[in-house]
Amino acid sequence: MKISYNWLKWYIPDAPDAEKLVDILTFHVCEVDGLENLPNGDVVLDLKILPDRAHDLLSHQGIARELASLLNINFVDPRPNGDSSGRATPKYKIPESKPTNLKINILTNKDRRHVGRIVRNVKVGPSPEWVVKHLASIGQRSINNIVDATNITMFDCGQPTHAFDLNKVEGVELNIRDAKAGEKVTLLTGEEKELKEGMIAICDGAGNILDTGIKGGKHAEITTSTTDLILEADNFDPVFARKTGQALNIVTDARKRFENDLSPELAPFAMMELSALIAEMCPEATFEEIVDTYPQKQKEQKLKFSLAKISKILGLEVSVIEVGNILERYKIGYKNEGDEFEIVVPPMRLDLNIEEDMAEEMGRILGYDRILGTIPKVPARNASSIASAGGNETYAKIRAARAKLIEDGYSEVMTYVFCDKGEVEVMQSASDKKFLRTNLSDGIKESLKLNKLNAPFLGLSDVKIFEIGTVFLKDKPARNVSSIASAGGEEMRVCYANKKEVKEMTLEEYCKAEPDAFTQVLGSPGAQPRPDHEQKHTGSASEKFNMWSLFPFIARDVALWVPARNASSIASAGGPEGVSSGEVLEIIKSVSSPLIVRGPELFDEFKKDGKISYAFRLVFQSYERTLTDTEVNEVIAQISNKIKEKGWEVR
Amino acid sequence: MKEENKKGTMHPLSIVTSQLVDIFIDLGFEIALGPEIATEYDNFDSLNVPKDHPARDMQDTFWLKDSPGKVLRTHISSMQVPYMKNNKPPFKMISPGKVFRNEATDSTHEMQYNYMEGLVVAEGLSVSHLKGILLEFLKRFFGDSADIRLRPSFFPFVEPGFEIDVWTGKKWIEILGAGMVHPKVLENGGIDPKKFSGFAFGMGIDRIMLLKYEIPDVRLSYQGDLRLNQFN
Repeated sequence: MKISYNWLKWYIPDAPDAEKLVDILTFHVCEVDGLENLPNGDVVLDLKILPDRAHDLLSHQGIARELASLLNINFVDPRPNGDSSGRATPKYKIPESKPTNLKINILTNKDRRHVGRIVRNVKVGPSPEWVVKHLASIGQRSINNIVDATNITMFDCGQPTHAFDLNKVEGVELNIRDAKAGEKVTLLTGEEKELKEGMIAICDGAGNILDTGIKGGKHAEITTSTTDLILEADNFDPVFARKTGQALNIVTDARKRFENDLSPELAPFAMMELSALIAEMCPEATFEEIVDTYPQKQKEQKLKFSLAKISKILGLEVSVIEVGNILERYKIGYKNEGDEFEIVVPPMRLDLNIEEDMAEEMGRILGYDRILGTIPKVPARNASSIASAGGNETYAKIRAARAKLIEDGYSEVMTYVFCDKGEVEVMQSASDKKFLRTNLSDGIKESLKLNKLNAPFLGLSDVKIFEIGTVFLKDKPARNVSSIASAGGEEMRVCYANKKEVKEMTLEEYCKAEPDAFTQVLGSPGAQPRPDHEQKHTGSASEKFNMWSLFPFIARDVALWVPARNASSIASAGGPEGVSSGEVLEIIKSVSSPLIVRGPELFDEFKKDGKISYAFRLVFQSYERTLTDTEVNEVIAQISNKIKEKGWEVR
Repeated sequence: MKEENKKGTMHPLSIVTSQLVDIFIDLGFEIALGPEIATEYDNFDSLNVPKDHPARDMQDTFWLKDSPGKVLRTHISSMQVPYMKNNKPPFKMISPGKVFRNEATDSTHEMQYNYMEGLVVAEGLSVSHLKGILLEFLKRFFGDSADIRLRPSFFPFVEPGFEIDVWTGKKWIEILGAGMVHPKVLENGGIDPKKFSGFAFGMGIDRIMLLKYEIPDVRLSYQGDLRLNQFN
């Protein structure tokens, strides 16, 4: 959620600068995804409000209250009778109200509170500059003063609000009822949506649907000719809001707040704020009395916790004074007797339910850096079996199979579980591959093709690869995958391939076919130490990845004859055994080129008629461009010249 | 020279996984492997993530077609409750494996990941113990200069919950999610939360691999491309 620093300062004028706030929030409240200095001089913080704090922190006031309590700085309460220290002028001038004949009928349990009021004689027009600025800072567009006032209210206090054009509402009444399947409504965006069961319809006296709860309708839309309004602040059931949003594909800031569950106690506050804003923008407006329909009042929650329990959870001694001090800063009413506390949970703090929640509260406010690490004394069960691959037979087999295959010259690859066909399908996927693999062979064959193309680059004459992984089969009991039953048909497989064949089998079958390598593992699971041929890996941070060039490489071979016996010149380095491959290598290497990415590597050697043939391979590639034959030929020509200078014969 | 005698190479994810696992084995952890297909109950409900709750949005899920209530596990935590049901505390368990997220891929996001989670349940465990074990692990993996930092976070199945950063000698890097096992989760696993407490932690092995070797793109992992195997 985007938070404007200037907006925040309204409430906490003593706030530290924005950079400092980032650290404070990060270590005591939530992650900060970004800080941006805006051209309008404001700074905007992008906060990742945690789901358990979405009840009270998805607003500027919410964040300001949290910071004021956390930092023990002044919070300027905007209410006329607010409990601020008196240094600030109340922001909201509450208009006087006249009697009303507005009727609100809540006919569904999905609306837990409706706060409504009629406002007459407004003038719809552009918003004051501060409103446009505040909205712009958090990435919102100004629409008109009335709509902006509802948005400012939501981003300020967290409660979504809405305004209808009273003159388009038939009968001075709103009926909030369960929707009937098939009812249609045109949204403010112009889209027509069909309502389903489980949704609600907010209707006027004639049955026109004005609102879906999470998005307003076109029927009573505010326009420039609107003069009279019905304002509303509802508290909707979170599951309803979520399901409606999902079914109608509506993603709004209102839905987000409702589905995270708001306290119904917030609605009158929002109505007061919205009214005050409209009064400020439209001084001629007249306000009627608020109609508050609240069938079931939110119960007051009390929460008991003991210091001993909190200290035990955190592993940090927390004192009565510290806890009392925090509760006072957070304006949480409490009773304390000895070690025991009982608090009255603030209505907005729907996240505080159990002692563990209070441990988190105390821990994060005090700072987790105060907790020192200690190693717990939890004895290992079956210590001897754990020493061997953690005492898990399947895991031990996977590691032994991997080690065996690597020993046999196979290299490990991993491929995708998702593919074009199979027995198990996923419902929706971000990709077009919706099936889960039934074998490893298909992936291995693709991998084989790719790696064969790169064989010279890899310096391999025969590509040998393997994969160990799960395949998914329908109507087959799970095998070998885990000690815990799978909900589907999974099987752990081994697949390996070389130029002659692709072989695939279950992990179990592989282990049986290679009994020597698995005696330890199979004989008595976990009872023996790790297989000898498996290296124990230890961390070493020095190895760095080299990204390969995305341009094609060119492989070239250099073959030559050298004398097998050196009779003519004793001074030559050849010696009685003739010219060594190492000597030739040095000569070839004396030609340097940045384009050589691999080699020279000796790949062939034989003797014939008193001569030795050597063949070396070089691989050329550029990170910048596709190489031409001409470029490579130039380097090869230089090498050939060097060879000829030595009196050797290029083949 | 002779190809037949040449050893093969290991995938960097396997190297990193082995390193991580070996450290925990040395710390006395047992290994448990969980299935990749999980029930909705094990993956969500048993972990305090009820149906129709926004916490489900934290993870984009692959639901299986024609198999109501089954998912490709979105986290290794899906084995917490089944494991608790099958094992009496005290225990220290670690579980590596594949998890799945239904999201668009880019250089840091894949649809399949390798993850590792740990679960420790015993009498009297605290945040201090969680911090102690993880700092020890981080020192063994990143070297003695490694340090640890806890930040408030939220996962429905732990309380309190943390994001954990490691100091690698150069900078702080976010590396783990962790927390004290929520008493409801212990209860769902048949463990008395009045007697026992626990902590859990999880880390993305792909992410650690990217950091360790400075590999620029997580998608290189699953291409079947041997050019990735540079670290043997």
